Amino acid sequence: MNDLKEKIEECKKDFEREFSHVEDEDSLGEMRNLYLGRKRGCLNRFIEDLRDLSPEEKAEVGQKINKLKKYIQEKILECHEKLSFSEKRTEKIDMTLPGRKRYWGSPHPVILFQQEIEEIFLKIGFSIESGPNIETDYYNFEALNFPPYHPARDDWDTLYITDDLLLRTHTSPVQIRVMEKKKPPIRIIIPGKVFRKEKPDPTHLPMFYQLEGLVVDHGITFAHLKGTLEYFLKTLFHEKIDIRFRPSFFPFTEPSAEVDINCTVCGGKDKKCRVCKGSGWIEILGAGMVDPQVFKNVDIDPEKYSGFAFGLGIDRTAMFAYHIPDMRYFYDNDLRFIRQFLRK
Amino acid sequence: MKTSLKWLRNYIELNISFQQLVDVLNNIGLVVESWEKNHEDVILDIETYANRPDTLGHLGIARELAAALRLPLKEENEVVTETEEKTSDLIDIQIYEENLCPRYSGIIVRDIPVGPSPQWLKTKINAIGLKPINNVVDVTNFVLFSTAHPLHAFDLSKISGSRIIVRKANREETLRSLEGEDIPLSSDMLVIADKEKPIALAGIIGGEKSAVSDSTRDVFIESACFNAVSIRKTRKKVGIETDASYRFERGADISAPPRAATMAASLLTRLGAKATQGIIDVYPNPIKARTVVLRHHRIAELLGLEIEEDFIKEVLIRLGFKLERQQQGIWKITIPYFRIDIEREVDVIEEIARFYGYDKIPVQIPPLKSFKQGSGQERKNINKVRQLLFHYGFDEVVNYDFIDPEKEKKFNSGLIPVEIRNPVSSKVSLMRTTLIAGLLENIAYNKNRGAEGIHIFEQGNIYFWDEEECVEQPMLALVSTGLLGAEHWQMRRENTDFFQIKGVLEELMRYLGHESFSFKEESYPYFELGYCFRLDYGGESIGFLGLLRKEILDSYPIKDPVWAAEMKMRRLLERRSKSFQYSPIIKYPSVSRDVSFIADNHVSYQDIMGAVGKLSIPYLEKFEICDRFSGDPIPRNKVNLTLRFVFRNSKRTLLAEEVDSIQKKIIDALKEKFNFQLREKEEKIDKRTGKD
Repeated sequence: MNDLKEKIEECKKDFEREFSHVEDEDSLGEMRNLYLGRKRGCLNRFIEDLRDLSPEEKAEVGQKINKLKKYIQEKILECHEKLSFSEKRTEKIDMTLPGRKRYWGSPHPVILFQQEIEEIFLKIGFSIESGPNIETDYYNFEALNFPPYHPARDDWDTLYITDDLLLRTHTSPVQIRVMEKKKPPIRIIIPGKVFRKEKPDPTHLPMFYQLEGLVVDHGITFAHLKGTLEYFLKTLFHEKIDIRFRPSFFPFTEPSAEVDINCTVCGGKDKKCRVCKGSGWIEILGAGMVDPQVFKNVDIDPEKYSGFAFGLGIDRTAMFAYHIPDMRYFYDNDLRFIRQFLRK
Repeated sequence: MKTSLKWLRNYIELNISFQQLVDVLNNIGLVVESWEKNHEDVILDIETYANRPDTLGHLGIARELAAALRLPLKEENEVVTETEEKTSDLIDIQIYEENLCPRYSGIIVRDIPVGPSPQWLKTKINAIGLKPINNVVDVTNFVLFSTAHPLHAFDLSKISGSRIIVRKANREETLRSLEGEDIPLSSDMLVIADKEKPIALAGIIGGEKSAVSDSTRDVFIESACFNAVSIRKTRKKVGIETDASYRFERGADISAPPRAATMAASLLTRLGAKATQGIIDVYPNPIKARTVVLRHHRIAELLGLEIEEDFIKEVLIRLGFKLERQQQGIWKITIPYFRIDIEREVDVIEEIARFYGYDKIPVQIPPLKSFKQGSGQERKNINKVRQLLFHYGFDEVVNYDFIDPEKEKKFNSGLIPVEIRNPVSSKVSLMRTTLIAGLLENIAYNKNRGAEGIHIFEQGNIYFWDEEECVEQPMLALVSTGLLGAEHWQMRRENTDFFQIKGVLEELMRYLGHESFSFKEESYPYFELGYCFRLDYGGESIGFLGLLRKEILDSYPIKDPVWAAEMKMRRLLERRSKSFQYSPIIKYPSVSRDVSFIADNHVSYQDIMGAVGKLSIPYLEKFEICDRFSGDPIPRNKVNLTLRFVFRNSKRTLLAEEVDSIQKKIIDALKEKFNFQLREKEEKIDKRTGKD
């Protein structure tokens, strides 16, 4: 029995010695056969040798054999796992090669910019409204206090479908549509396409995007208009910008204002700047207090409520923000242009 | 308005720097858009507004400046040398249309040495960008650009019967222009006629017959007011816009005619002529000056700032308003005639704000009260659609909503297009009836610039007539042509195909929570026959997809196949009827079985799905096709299909034997229905244990 015990000890030492030289799956397979093989494996041979022993001895030595078998199995499995993992690494890779690419579609810059503007207003409680692109004369002009045949209409070169139907020249008709249906408080923005009879050139297009805002409630003042637009412009243009409000005229607001920011392109330093024409200021928004006549047209009492409205060209503003020199780029849809905005 | 700085100085003493002047003008809303030096003068281009015809003359601008700078306005001293005659004895004026001509004044100037103007006048006329013509015309222009009130000078000897009649034209009448063309008149046009016929189109342009020429000795100077709408209609109809019509259609100062006539007479007198005595002034219904009640508290309510009473009074008086205190904080304001824009209290408040300075108004965020917000569902859904398309590698484009009628015809949509009456050009004279036309332009454009794969989408409206109604329908369209994906050394790029587009639509429907959609083969004018599917959802057809017809592509021209889809957005953007809730994760394992058949190649997948659906197979969690191929070793006209069935019981682990018997039933049913042959021993793999 001791003989056998010694042989088992010996076997373990042999295994450990030989095992330390195993470097690949082949020699590991040999080891597996040599020690664990069903016929020639030495552990099985020990089991055969057990026959000659007494039951007590059998139990004792048998336990030893099992323990060794388990030990060897574990070692081999462990080694196998290690080898198979490192095998995957044996093929040397050039880690400097470029990684896999994915072709990810890009948003259109005007829509992207529109949404950036929307986010700014959504944060201060505005919601989004929309209306039709083909409007009636009433919504586009008359309800907004443009009397028929008023020369103010000339500032909005209009494309007509019929005597009464036209392509909206601004997003302002949606103000009327909303106020007809909804009573104050109103706090909305209206993004959308607008149309003008203009031949395309770097700063004019027959179609572009506008965003309109309208706030109506008790006690809304011009100071609120200024605050809202300052918040908006300062958020949109990140950098520190100067803002200037100056009097203007729109039939649907009174008092009316135009809002300028200092030139984002030359910073007011270039007397020959094409964008600000050397004035240092660029006109960015039209705004004002809702005209009492507009309120009367939608049955809101101007003695009880007041409100302000504003509007800006999305394309035009995007030109200033991204230093785009030509408005037509937006509608050429050159993918080399559009795809730059993936990175925006 | 082109404004000469020197000319302004006739009315106001300016002791400020040029930059200060520009700033002051900007601050009161007279924006200096540009300026240029002109010899010793500076010419400012000042933006004026449609409601402020009073600023279309130097005096008007000076008046605003004077109020802003708190300076007095210099009064011109009009000296007129008179003849012995009375104006009213020499000419008779009759207004037949008092509504269209509320006031008509005039004066006769005799013995004019018609000829070139003196240098000072030429300089002034040049300064505002006009060409000097002769002293009479130059004087009328000078008065117009000073007072903003248009005048017209007639050769007195050419006024037949010494009679001026302000009437409507007769249908057959014409007016010969200075260029010798006959302008046809219509009965809604107001004319100035003599005894015989029209000699001027009122407030717009004079005729050749009575024009001042070198041989003119005596002139009749007309200084009248005409109805703005009438002027506008007529000048649009005849297509002639003049400095006079531009001002009259914005509204005339009813008090101006005698003053402007006197000014002209005074100037011509200085050139050596003599005027007749007295202004002839036909003003049948004198108009009272408008009044408005101003309440002090309304200023703060509208502007968000208190403005002291003294300031209000001072500004309004400087602007020519008269104030009459009615009670504490309430005034009756009388509006000067030249301010046709001031009609209501709010208009007066704007004046106060303008001169107080918009920059002094405080900056406040309006208080946010709690009220119901819109759901924003549509925006959310549109963004979901966009994100999905970006993920699939589609770039977003935006095209004009117009379409070339030639292109529109090619699509043969059956829709009645909406036509623009006055298009920018004939190539953009229709509203688009499909988004695909624009997308094809984009493909052609980008292909010409070397793009190998173009996969783009657009969301926007199409337009068409439905009976009497002009319909605007929001659509989503996508097109796909050429290579897919990005170039990479490890990957081979494949060409796009039908399943690229179909996959996008399927995923899009699921992603928006609209599971119950289906496709059906259909013919549609945009697509090749046999390559077109209709997408149905909620009991209606919402779109089409397929291979675009070659004839359409040829018109761009595009050579490669283009796969496309166009679908109506409205239904898709609606909120789902069921609110979203999570489904519990089942803890029991699934059993997946792959079965391979040899099938006739005309058996469609949809038929198989239908058949499987009808079997009402227990525990079937998922059914899909995972392989399909033909060719060797598969016989001709046959195809190998590998179908995967995934079974799961939510309450316990399924037994292999149960699945075996279900599987056998499926195989038998499919064999029977489609004459499938089982290809090889079906694999039975237990997903959890990985054992055979």
